[in-house]
Amino acid sequence: FWSKLKKVNVFASKTLTAEDLRTGVETMREHLIAKNVASDVAEKICESVSTKLAGKTLGSFESLTSNIRQAMRDTLVMILTPKRRIDILRDVVDAQKARRPYSITFCGVNGVGKSTNLAKVAYWLSGNDLRVLIAGCDTFRAGAIEQLKTHVNHLNNIFSEKKMEMIELYQRGYGKDAAGIAAEAINYAKDKKFDVVLIDTAGRMQNDEPLMIALAKLIHVNNPDLVLFVGEALVGNEAVDQVTKFNQALVDNARLHSNPRVIDGIVLTKFDTIDDKVGAAISMTYTTDKPIVFVGIGQQYQDLKTLNADVVTEALLK
Amino acid sequence: MVLADLGRRLSTALRNLSNATIINEQVLSEALGEICRALLEADVNVRLVKQLRENVKQAINFEETAVGLNKRRLIQSAVVKELVRLIDPEVKPWQPVKNKPNIVMFVGLQGSGKTTTCTKYAYHYMRRGWKTALVCADTFRAGAFDQLKQNATKARIPFYGSYTESDPLVIAVDGVETFRKDNFELIVVDTSGRHAQEESLFEEMLQISNGIQPDNIIFVMDASIGQACELQAQAFKSKVDVGSVIVTKLDSHAKGGGALSAVAATKSPIIFIGTGEHIDDFEVFKTKPFISKLLGMGDIQGLVEK
Ligand SMILES: Nc1nc2c(ncn2[C@@H]2O[C@H](COP(=O)(O)OP(=O)(O)OP(=O)(O)O)[C@@H](O)[C@H]2O)c(=O)[nH]1
Ligand SMILES: Nc1nc2c(ncn2[C@@H]2O[C@H](COP(=O)(O)OP(=O)(O)OP(=O)(O)O)[C@@H](O)[C@H]2O)c(=O)[nH]1
Ligand SMILES: [Mg+2]
Ligand SMILES: [Mg+2]
Repeated sequence: FWSKLKKVNVFASKTLTAEDLRTGVETMREHLIAKNVASDVAEKICESVSTKLAGKTLGSFESLTSNIRQAMRDTLVMILTPKRRIDILRDVVDAQKARRPYSITFCGVNGVGKSTNLAKVAYWLSGNDLRVLIAGCDTFRAGAIEQLKTHVNHLNNIFSEKKMEMIELYQRGYGKDAAGIAAEAINYAKDKKFDVVLIDTAGRMQNDEPLMIALAKLIHVNNPDLVLFVGEALVGNEAVDQVTKFNQALVDNARLHSNPRVIDGIVLTKFDTIDDKVGAAISMTYTTDKPIVFVGIGQQYQDLKTLNADVVTEALLK
Repeated sequence: MVLADLGRRLSTALRNLSNATIINEQVLSEALGEICRALLEADVNVRLVKQLRENVKQAINFEETAVGLNKRRLIQSAVVKELVRLIDPEVKPWQPVKNKPNIVMFVGLQGSGKTTTCTKYAYHYMRRGWKTALVCADTFRAGAFDQLKQNATKARIPFYGSYTESDPLVIAVDGVETFRKDNFELIVVDTSGRHAQEESLFEEMLQISNGIQPDNIIFVMDASIGQACELQAQAFKSKVDVGSVIVTKLDSHAKGGGALSAVAATKSPIIFIGTGEHIDDFEVFKTKPFISKLLGMGDIQGLVEK
């Protein structure tokens, strides 16, 4: 890719015009799309890089390539670097002081890894000596409750040397109202002095109105401390529509007197399945301006990491 | 309809081509540009899109070809031919045969919809009078057996699985054997989700395939997948003998173009599509009628053969 760009090197000192940049930026756009960045996000990023560089005067030994590359790198790192850091452990301590459980809702489309990564988060929290209540609010998908039961059993085995049972499942079976179960679970956690409540929700398509309204209800009624959108790194152009519509559903279906809510952060799953096609990370953060709080890199409990913006950027530029 | 957005944009681009008063390189390049943009936005693999553009350009040599109508038709037919190539692997889809045991194995990436689709598939045939059964050879995913069991029970389809056996190969072989003895006609085997980067999971898939000797292997693909599809689909195909593709979750906003590279990579046709979480959210997919509908052209056959 970069070798193709070398041909448009500028040798004499020169002020760059949009025209000079055109080929280089076009090549870059295609490159980003091949890395699985959504088309219009790639387009907008390239526009902004182009605007940044246009009018700039290059010294005689500066190449156009290295200028585009640097501007691109800066832009990508900036997109991936959160304006606001989410420090769950610190926020849990604050909630403890207020004698209430800290709660996190996991939402997203079908099959992206909500329940599995919720279990990984439970593992991480328990490892930090926090007691976790999992709320089984997917009352629709076959086996959803048994899936959580299995995780809770596994996790309690892992933490069996601790003084008390670290993780419990709160569930009311299938077919019930998810918002109500979440409310009961949070109350139960308060009574039983759990530190954190992790709320598992059913997968839903972002264009399914009734289900999106139901999710918004769950969130507005229970006002969790953190709303995490779970998206998979495999997703292509849909990434943009998914995060936009999940956000919008929360805004559109806000209730009178409840806090205005949007997605607070992103869990990017299946990062181990995409090699260097890491573009979904860009599509999601560019669209929401929210941090990627966790990255799922496998199917084991330990396979939960934080995002390294530099590593992702290098993979994108490669 | 599925991929409808994409279809609309493609046919608009083609129509613009036929409405243009003169056909020159610029008109062609604009139409091609629009087509390629639409394909990329629908997640069609970048390499395949580039290939399409090159092939069309090559098919049309401006200096040599005749003027007017002929040229227009030539361009249209070249574009359509390339689009058809994306969707149509030109393989006759595998069909189960009545009155004998047909063993069908489902494979695919994690969360793509295998377990849900297995039941839909079995149910589809059961309603048409086939004696069908389900085998749960996923011992990895938490709650996998309960999921299949609940689905199968609701659909009244006999099923086989185990809470204690941890080797999926043992379950697959035992399950298939059990149902074969009982003269079942369609035995559907669900397996765990897996991906190319984890060799042991692929090895397990091969073991199961060798163990049960399926008549067909179905690769289940999520419609929202992007550019990573090709590498995964190729890897599945090179490990086991994938013969069909099912694209799921087409009830979303996804245009499903990413999944098309699974067709190209596995050289296997799409046989069904999933359009929801319920058991009858399932449609038969036929490539050729789909293409003509997609492009809104009655005479597509004529265009392709010219
Ligand atoms: N390779 C890989 N697989 C993952 C990862 N996270 C989850 N999975 C797998 O993805 C599949 C789906 O995960 P679930 O947690 O059931 O997904 P979900 O979003 O809860 O699904 P629904 O509740 O049905 O919408 C399972 O097979 C998981 O093991 C990851 O980071 N890497
Ligand atoms: N909207 C919609 N959801 C679907 C469709 N097919 C499957 N799903 C949902 O996608 C999620 C994952 O489906 P599963 O059948 O568990 O996927 P899987 O491939 O068996 O997952 P693993 O066994 O973990 O690899 C579930 O929430 C299903 O209900 C579909 O066509 N449309
Ligand atoms: Mg789930
Ligand atoms: Mg499954």
